[in-house]
Amino acid sequence: MDTATAVDEMGGDMSQTVATEGAFDHEKASQAFVGKVGEIAVDNPRMTARKVNVYYGEKHAIQDVNLDIGKNEVISMIGPSGCGKSTFLRCLNRMNDTIDICRVAGEIKLDGQDVYDKKLDVVPLRAQVGMVFQKPNPFPKSIYDNIAYGPKIHGLVSNKADLDEVVESSLRRAGLWSEVKDYLDQPGTGLSGGQQQRLCIARTIAVSPEVILMDEPCSALDPIATAKIEELIDELRENYTIAIVTHSMQQAARVSQRTAYFHLGKLIEVGNTDDIFTNPSHKLTEDYITGRFG
Amino acid sequence: MSMNEMMGGHIVNRFNDEMSQLHGLVLKLSELARSQMHDAVKTLDDEDCEAAQVVIERDKKLNDLDIEADDEIIRLIAKRQPMAKDLRDIIAVGKIVSDLERIGDQARWVARMTIHFYDGDKLPPNHHLLDDIPRMAEMVDEMIIKAMGAFENLDLEQALDVIQLNLELENEFKSALRRLSTYLMDDARHVGHVTEVVLGLRAIERAGGYAKNIAGYVVFLVKGTDVRHESLEQVAAEVRAEAW
Repeated sequence: MDTATAVDEMGGDMSQTVATEGAFDHEKASQAFVGKVGEIAVDNPRMTARKVNVYYGEKHAIQDVNLDIGKNEVISMIGPSGCGKSTFLRCLNRMNDTIDICRVAGEIKLDGQDVYDKKLDVVPLRAQVGMVFQKPNPFPKSIYDNIAYGPKIHGLVSNKADLDEVVESSLRRAGLWSEVKDYLDQPGTGLSGGQQQRLCIARTIAVSPEVILMDEPCSALDPIATAKIEELIDELRENYTIAIVTHSMQQAARVSQRTAYFHLGKLIEVGNTDDIFTNPSHKLTEDYITGRFG
Repeated sequence: MSMNEMMGGHIVNRFNDEMSQLHGLVLKLSELARSQMHDAVKTLDDEDCEAAQVVIERDKKLNDLDIEADDEIIRLIAKRQPMAKDLRDIIAVGKIVSDLERIGDQARWVARMTIHFYDGDKLPPNHHLLDDIPRMAEMVDEMIIKAMGAFENLDLEQALDVIQLNLELENEFKSALRRLSTYLMDDARHVGHVTEVVLGLRAIERAGGYAKNIAGYVVFLVKGTDVRHESLEQVAAEVRAEAW
């Protein structure tokens, strides 16, 4: 029996497991939850995660998470603070390796290749699975060099003309070219917050990733800059797979095709975004997205 | 579980209050729609044209409440951006208030019938022609009560009752049409009155249809599925299906 089937067959119903008197106890509900989480598998997976467990020392931060991330899809991960969504995201390109006390168990594959294979070099992995962070973090270099740095160190270009082309196409894809083409020698840190974040996305794109991980990419941006990033995410979906962690339910509803809801380290529900935000199956999901706890 | 228990509990208490107020508005509308239909049918029985005129004029109150509810819904969506059951609740409420307002329009139609029959020196209709009107109106009243009970208590079995009652109402309407046609066959001079009565019966039957719609919106609110165009058996299967 494969894991997906096994998870489906675990059965159980959270609402019955925690039939409490009086107010619904969301913490107990999550701890007691063992059951169906929805369709974890997709037909065309780019990344697959099976039985993923993450520990920070003694703390069991992620528990038995099974999830596929499909090609050319945007999947959003939502849940209250401390639910493990960012931890899970960071497992996908081994960013958690940088945390000494963090231990990851289970299996994560990118195009069938085990991401946690001891022989695997994480540097090219992080080019294949790029990451955009909450706060824009351009290098203290020119706009041009911010983009050019990755392709140069990964040896993706052989001459200046190729590099120019990569810089231009990356900035174009990130929707930033027309705004910065005349200032490529200016420092990236001089751009506005929204522009800096698009610069970081362009920098990620420049090394030809397959997957882009975004950890609350708009939380430091104003609504217009946020709208531009969301529009960009939608355009990037044609060529990349995107996993985004967001605290904004409206953003998850707007940008993603699938949504995964995490609670206290467990994946509670995953499904089509349209279904999750109009008719979720689990009370925990329902209560979180309608603002009854969180 | 009552509507307040299920729909309350938001972190933002003001949202709970606003939703409660909106639900209160719906219940007020339903009471007014019921009394409009009741009073309209009574004017026919009492042959009271002045009372019929009062019913017609009071319809404006329903229209005003309908607009007030719509304004509140737009404000809530813009301000709170509701999701999941809150979103379904607001959408269902929007549809329920529209249908309650339409029930009021049908009551107005019945009140107009009173004026057509009894205002001036026209020959009043044979009372037997009107026999079906109070019976069908009572059925509709029961349907509205049950539909609103289903809404208040999120009671899907009660919603199913309303859909069942609507089938009975439709059969009653067909029987009434058959009875009226026998009067026409007896005496073709009844044609004017029979036509008026058919339109009145049709108005009451439509009011029942709106009550049935409300039951469907309650199913949508609770289960998230649109059952408006499904048979009673299909709705029952949907209502009793376990999630996942």
